[in-house]
Amino acid sequence: MKLLEYEAKNLLSLSGIVTPRSSIIHRNDSPQLTFPVVLKSQVPTGGRGKAGGIRIVNDKDSLQQTINELFELSIKGYRPQTLLAEEKLAIAHEYYLSLVIDKPAAEICLMAHNNGGVEVEENVAISFLNIAISSESVEVAGQQLADYYNLPSQTFVLQDLVENLYKCFVANDATLLEINPLVFTDDGKFVAGDCKMELDDSAAFRHDWNFEDKAAEANFVTLDPGGTVATIANGAGLAMATVDAVSDYGMVPANFLDIGGGSNTETLVAAFRRITEYPNIQAIVINVFAGISRCDEVARAIIAAKKQIENLPPLFIRLAGTNFEAAADLLSQENIPILATLEECLAAAKQEVSS
Amino acid sequence: MKSTLFSAQNVIVQGITGGHGRFQTKAMLAAGTNVVAGTTPGKAGQVVEDVPVYDSIADIQKEHTVDTTVIFVPAPFAKSAIFEAITAHIPLIVCITEGVPIHDMIQIKKRLAGSGSSLIGPNSPGVIIPGVNKLGIIPANMSLPGRTAIVSRSGTLTYETMAGLSAKGIGQRYVIGTGGDRIRGTGFIDCLELFENDPEVDQIVLIGEIGGTDEQLAADYIATSVTKPVFAYVAGHHAPVGVQLGHAGAILGSADESAASKTEALAKAGAHVATSITGLIELIVDNK
Repeated sequence: MKLLEYEAKNLLSLSGIVTPRSSIIHRNDSPQLTFPVVLKSQVPTGGRGKAGGIRIVNDKDSLQQTINELFELSIKGYRPQTLLAEEKLAIAHEYYLSLVIDKPAAEICLMAHNNGGVEVEENVAISFLNIAISSESVEVAGQQLADYYNLPSQTFVLQDLVENLYKCFVANDATLLEINPLVFTDDGKFVAGDCKMELDDSAAFRHDWNFEDKAAEANFVTLDPGGTVATIANGAGLAMATVDAVSDYGMVPANFLDIGGGSNTETLVAAFRRITEYPNIQAIVINVFAGISRCDEVARAIIAAKKQIENLPPLFIRLAGTNFEAAADLLSQENIPILATLEECLAAAKQEVSS
Repeated sequence: MKSTLFSAQNVIVQGITGGHGRFQTKAMLAAGTNVVAGTTPGKAGQVVEDVPVYDSIADIQKEHTVDTTVIFVPAPFAKSAIFEAITAHIPLIVCITEGVPIHDMIQIKKRLAGSGSSLIGPNSPGVIIPGVNKLGIIPANMSLPGRTAIVSRSGTLTYETMAGLSAKGIGQRYVIGTGGDRIRGTGFIDCLELFENDPEVDQIVLIGEIGGTDEQLAADYIATSVTKPVFAYVAGHHAPVGVQLGHAGAILGSADESAASKTEALAKAGAHVATSITGLIELIVDNK
């Protein structure tokens, strides 16, 4: 889950990392602000500055106009529900600092660069400071960071910063925590100028998370809204393979859908409804190989969807695995055919699409 | 990994009294696996499919030797269950549980290092040695004993490939799902090493996915250390690439993580590659 800047900065602040003085603006608010103020559109995407999503307001006269414009500005398809109003920092230098997870090594890594800001992606990866960090090594990492930034007088401050950053990362089950820029101000303080943070959805059970909904649904992804064949499969691998197979067969897949292991009737019917919203769908290919899930549960959901949704495009169903016999019985009672292989489904779907 | 790791004479199930634990214990017993006991804290004395339930692995070990555990414990407690198995020195730990937090996996990998345990998973369908053992949830009735070894990051593609080969009369020596999580126990290279060194394996099937660089590393290993024929498919040729990568993640992941790039790397390493699962199954012939 990606957090918005103000949500991420709130977590930083709770961990003792300095953030700019700020307030939150919603639509129809009449905020009392101190000028100059920086207004920042809270959208879950990068490149805000270039898109005009960050504006400096110098006096009260132009404030409301700017707020209205920012709420109307769509950035890469996202419109903000919230604006962040921040003090304008007196910047002496901008650094880059982040914690990420090095997955092959199963370690947390600290990455830093001497020049932060919007162009940091263009720096060659090799020029970054990149060190593994654990609870035992935060002090050493802070020292290394001070050496790398060439700020020996700030060693204690940076050790403190790294310790707080590490605590913030672990305590919140973060998978990415990036401060860019990390602003060194004219009066000698480190302040988090911008912050990107991503949290591990799997860890939601041990947190009381309540963030703006970013509608990032990984299980249902539109690939081509004009596609002619919709796909439903279980497991990310099989769902990707089904999309690959539809495409290899010369048809245009509209979507990727992984119904996962715990497929119940309600979620599957909802998925069918979303599929019927694509304008050109002529066939739905269902490819389920049940291991932990059970074919009979999928069959019940298919039967429910056929009864509840009018004008459902033709279904080409391949089921295999756990409780297949029970599923075959259920579907045959409703005269819904099962095909033996994915290839047969594709061949039948192809006839439907070209006819 | 050595092939003896998978001989599984005495298997236990952690989380045996849950829905999946019960259902799959029955299926494992039906496939011939010797499940000697199970655990669920606080449920000692119960019986599941004639298998006795204990509170802890330590209690089981007072009465049984244990060489393999299959874990169905829910994600919030999976870390504790794996720690318990490592502490009990169980050589093979198969974790089926989906949704184990990444930070828990970092701790688990630290505990595994230098321990005598090997971990398959989490988020894995487990392992089948057809005709011998079923350690997990892979449907046994679709398997066929033979001399082809399959390793896959995807559970459902594991089943698909195994069933496709069985239908062609091509049997399997090993079917291993490593699990789809970003941090996991056993990976491709451990399995490739196992397959290469086992004289009962004639050929190898490797199934990858987009994301990460495991397939590139596997390709390097194949080029230098594998002499047996390898057949490969990487799922996700039409998936949108990189959408979930954040700023720093994109910097760290310098290699191309697309299916096309991974397929190319595997082909360069000498693997026979396909661009769809049906294409993969067509490619594979019994070369005994």
